Amino acid sequence: MRSIRRKTEAAFGALLAAGAFGCREPPPAPLPHGSSPAPVRGGEMHLASFGDIKSLDPAVAGDTLTGEVIELMYAGLVDFDAQGHVVPDLAERFERSDDGLVYRFFLREGIRFHDGSPVTARDVKRSIERTLHPDTPPTFSAFYDRIVGFDDYQGRRADHLAGVVVEGERVVAIHLREPDASFLAAFAMQNLRPVCPSAGDRYDDTWQPCGAGPFKLEAWDRGRSVRLVRFDGWWQPGKPYFDALTYTYGMNMSTERFKFERGDLDVDRELLLADIFRYQGDPRWKPLGAYDAAPSIGGEEMNVEIAPFDNVEVRRAVACAIDREQIRMVKPPALTPLYRVLPPTLSGDDPSFPGQKYDYAAALEHMRRAGYPYDPATGKGGWPKPIVYVTYKQGLVEYTAQVIQQQLARIGLRLEIRMVSYPTYLAMSKRRGTVAITNSGWSQDFPDASDFFEPIFATAAINDEDSNNGSFYSNPKLDDILVRARKELDPAVRKRLYDDADAIVCDDAPWAMEYLYRYYGVHQPYVRDLAQHNVWSNYVRDAWLDKPPARTSSARASVRLAPRSLLGSILAVLE
Amino acid sequence: MTAWMDPRARRRFWKNRGARIGVLLVGLLVVFALVGPLVSHHDPYASDFRGGATALGEPVGPSATYWLGTDRIFRDVYVRLAYGARLSLVIAISSTLISTVIGAAVGLVAGYYEGTEGVRVPYLSIAGALVGFVLVVAGHTRAGGTALALAALAAVLAWIVKPGAIASGPGLDADSALMRLVDVGLSFPFLLLVMALAAAFDRTTVSTILWTLGLTSWLGTARVVRAKTMQVRSLDFIGAARALGQPVPRILLRHVLPNVAGPVIVLSTAQVASMIVAESVLSYLGVGIAPPTPTWGHMLYEGQEVYLGAPWLLAAPAAAILLSVLGFNLLGEGLRDALDPKED
Repeated sequence: MRSIRRKTEAAFGALLAAGAFGCREPPPAPLPHGSSPAPVRGGEMHLASFGDIKSLDPAVAGDTLTGEVIELMYAGLVDFDAQGHVVPDLAERFERSDDGLVYRFFLREGIRFHDGSPVTARDVKRSIERTLHPDTPPTFSAFYDRIVGFDDYQGRRADHLAGVVVEGERVVAIHLREPDASFLAAFAMQNLRPVCPSAGDRYDDTWQPCGAGPFKLEAWDRGRSVRLVRFDGWWQPGKPYFDALTYTYGMNMSTERFKFERGDLDVDRELLLADIFRYQGDPRWKPLGAYDAAPSIGGEEMNVEIAPFDNVEVRRAVACAIDREQIRMVKPPALTPLYRVLPPTLSGDDPSFPGQKYDYAAALEHMRRAGYPYDPATGKGGWPKPIVYVTYKQGLVEYTAQVIQQQLARIGLRLEIRMVSYPTYLAMSKRRGTVAITNSGWSQDFPDASDFFEPIFATAAINDEDSNNGSFYSNPKLDDILVRARKELDPAVRKRLYDDADAIVCDDAPWAMEYLYRYYGVHQPYVRDLAQHNVWSNYVRDAWLDKPPARTSSARASVRLAPRSLLGSILAVLE
Repeated sequence: MTAWMDPRARRRFWKNRGARIGVLLVGLLVVFALVGPLVSHHDPYASDFRGGATALGEPVGPSATYWLGTDRIFRDVYVRLAYGARLSLVIAISSTLISTVIGAAVGLVAGYYEGTEGVRVPYLSIAGALVGFVLVVAGHTRAGGTALALAALAAVLAWIVKPGAIASGPGLDADSALMRLVDVGLSFPFLLLVMALAAAFDRTTVSTILWTLGLTSWLGTARVVRAKTMQVRSLDFIGAARALGQPVPRILLRHVLPNVAGPVIVLSTAQVASMIVAESVLSYLGVGIAPPTPTWGHMLYEGQEVYLGAPWLLAAPAAAILLSVLGFNLLGEGLRDALDPKED
């Protein structure tokens, strides 16, 4: 007891000293790099995040962080290139029938799983059926409901998915019951990727993850780290470049920065506000930083099954009461105000679109219509009880939560913030009847408008657990438009349909849209060919390490003398 | 504040420079907590997106408007620090009071009865009651109720027929029972226990934190008071009181307690400091009081994120914690030296 106190006192003292001396210190120089003109093999990549992953099974993986590792461990028949186009991966080619109803994939010769067994058309069918089986948590199955026989298979009326046909050892065909403009993109996502025969026919969360991607799993210390090593049976000769990759989870964001500057991490994408300013303002670091190409949207997710958000007028009031300019101030380099569902890259940024705008008088009027009039002068009225707002500690959301709390108090909605751990937040916010309001976000899976509606606002995306549709919002009119838009192959008509869908969501307000989030990441100069991928976040599959021949020790020694690294060491000890 | 001491102890106390600094720091803290929030017109919960932010969107530094600058979402740091001082003091002092009362009571009883023959424990009744309780909690109300009723019946029968005859086990005296409980409690790392408890609550408020800290930190006090009570009870005046037929509670409160008060006061003063740190650690780690309530620990956490651009955010709560802990520790050590006759 006493020793703990002493240690804590010492740490606080040192923090204070480091804070006073560390003021406005520019970042240290980027670490030295080699000058190899062509990619070299070898080295180990180190990445980290404050978050954690729950599963490494592509059948159930849904969040961005898990997706980063899935992308390295599992390869699909097709994948996205950096621009977001669908390109062959395990398949050497694919073709679409003229009526748009059959997609046929031809597998490469000699491709293997990490356990050495060959990847066959039967494995492809088995993996698809495993993911879409009714017993598997249906993370993204709504994307694939156009496959022939999907309803029978989900309804347990058929043992197999009739629309997936093995036409030979290396040929598999997928039959659709109607044309689907987004099918190929949905198929390039991660959930249907082939898994080793050891995975069996059914999802089982005790399975040791094993796929056919360029890296294989060496160790997974749950809650702490994942270590992948290069899979030598990968089909691209000479690739991937680095020998191994370690991904550490649950790391404090400040610690990430210290470790990054010391070279213990090679990429840092979870930057604190002050660090974004530091790196962007330093000419040595500016070329080593970049914004992610794929947009993410964020907003307040209101559960339409829980009072008071079962009342559409209350939700409209929230949408009007949020001053998105103030939210932006929480992290200006990363946030842009967002007034509708679709990010500007997909909506064309039409200024005449009504969307959701900050309008305090209208917000009060919506509260009056909802039956909970609020008088700002006396502070009386509004929803009588406190509303629990669930969020987690780290980075942006705990601050936006406090700003939202202030803004909603002005219309008579009194939020009570409850902090939980990140995995608890994920579980609670996606469970039916559990959370009234929370911050939620959606990162683009593939550059198509359907991706911002079907997984989060369609009735089919509602589940009792792990519901991507966390507002549990269901509107047959919206569902109908989404179905029509997906069948539609004319881009102009599609755009109009998605604008209509956007208008419906903005008006019904299951979410109060808030911001477009852009990740800003920096890497050390010896990390080469780190692509800004239009779909995958933190895409290191093609990167290589160009370290200078063994001279890092002197560089590290000079860094250690700075007070900042003293603080870094203390934080590392405190973790 | 030293009127209760005897004159020699008082003289020793005020001659001690550390003690004087301790009194000064604690006094300043109390004044800051009482008056601090009143002298600022800022609201600790309101963000100022215009005056409180730079053009880039960073918090502003100390100025005439914002004496200690603004925080991560542009609230006044000074007024939050002052409200945090109130909260820290209330939690630290209340939880220390709780822990001192429990610790002293347990220590007095255990020390007084140490070595005496114990009462027989109706194990069967206790086991029955436990089973009943678990069943009721698990939702089996009827089965649990029956078990509880049987346990009560067994206890009553045991007492009527012949104490110890039915459903009783070997004797266990109060001292052993209480001190083994203390041993079990001390075997848990304090912070781990407190964090687990705090995390178990759906919503942590001032009172949950205060009770959590109070109910988990009395173990050390109990041990010290027990040892001191064992010394005191063998003195002649206790024997005299017993011979006069005074009841035990009266002996404990009137004769034993005043004679063990010195160490209790010293311990409690130092414990206030531990409680300030414990509360800060909980808030820092995110299992303390939820935002936006200003707590020093959480302010420290928020400041750590932007300490390069806005060092005042880290410096203000860090200095507050450091000085308060230092103040209470110096005060406690001064009291110990003053009340300890060895140095006279």
